[in-house]
Amino acid sequence: MSFEERLLMELKTEVAARGERRRRTTVRRLFAGAAVAGLAAAAAVAVPLLTGTERPAYAVSENADGTIRVQIKEFRDADRLEGDLKRMGITADVSYTPPGKRCQSNRGRVLGGESATPEEWDKSPSAKAVRMTRHGIYIDPAHVAAGQTVVMEFAENDDQTSDEPQVRWQFVGLVIDGPVKPCVLVDDPLWYDVGGPEGQPPAGS
Amino acid sequence: MRRKQAEIATDPVAFEAFYRRHVDAVTRFLARRVDDPHTVADLVAEVFVAVLDSAQTYRSGLGSEIAWLYGVARNTLSAERRRAFRESRLADRLNGRRLLDSDDLVRLEERIDAESHARRAFEAMAELPEGERAVIELVALDQLTVAEAAQALGIRQGTARVRLHRARRVLRAVPFVMGGTTR
Repeated sequence: MSFEERLLMELKTEVAARGERRRRTTVRRLFAGAAVAGLAAAAAVAVPLLTGTERPAYAVSENADGTIRVQIKEFRDADRLEGDLKRMGITADVSYTPPGKRCQSNRGRVLGGESATPEEWDKSPSAKAVRMTRHGIYIDPAHVAAGQTVVMEFAENDDQTSDEPQVRWQFVGLVIDGPVKPCVLVDDPLWYDVGGPEGQPPAGS
Repeated sequence: MRRKQAEIATDPVAFEAFYRRHVDAVTRFLARRVDDPHTVADLVAEVFVAVLDSAQTYRSGLGSEIAWLYGVARNTLSAERRRAFRESRLADRLNGRRLLDSDDLVRLEERIDAESHARRAFEAMAELPEGERAVIELVALDQLTVAEAAQALGIRQGTARVRLHRARRVLRAVPFVMGGTTR
């Protein structure tokens, strides 16, 4: 066997290890509902299948520890949600985007910077201020200062009934310091990346 | 397409196809610049590890695979020259020269000999300003188009063309340097 072949074998081992790490990261990300920085610090969580069909579009509640829980039932009434949060002292910017689209990044100065790795993002002020969990989105007012805006972007798949692995909806949560530019829709190539081996959603999600 | 390219870092099959397409070109690229077979072997390994690290930076719409790869190879080589790469943990683990046997050494030395003209041309270029030297290397020695060289260096095509023109004026007398395309 030549040098090139031996090197290829070693590199493929490394590639397989990276693929494995990436899959594990995807699973962890979905469980924790924490954020991954996609393009320019977007904290995106792809959540397969949401079946809740109860009425009002969302529910907002305050927890004993001062955090605010937002449960989204349907992707509508963004303005009213912003109003409800405003009354609780949180300036929010909520966008519902069509499937396969996301808001262009660069909407303002993102707390936590335009950083990259999921680990760094988990520690960023944005991730502390707005977190996705299996029970809803938690906003911590203690981590949102005056002049800062909690930006939440949701994309919904039209097809909620297919058995094919697919992204049902996607959430981006971050905090922008200072002015927030309006959402400009752009294509989201990650939309079609459902993660996991062979495109299956990770087990347990 | 960005996702497809990122797959080479996580999918062994996609990576193998990419590797087989380019391993010869990368080896020759390095043999034109380095005359020690052990170092060439280390660097080939290092370039492909760098490919894994930066696969997500590739945008297929913005130019050719080889131009992107030569850009990665150039960065790897300058890192080596700064010796920074020795600090990389992966380089300790995946060290190319460990994989060489005597047949490989002979083959690599032949490659290095075959590129000796190119290395002499590099010496002649040593006096050029760095920006001009980088362009003429990629065009005259590595046979990239001007557009590809610009992509590899992350500069505009017009800038690359101007630098190429200046470098050729200085190096008119050196064989090899006038080769390459002007597209």
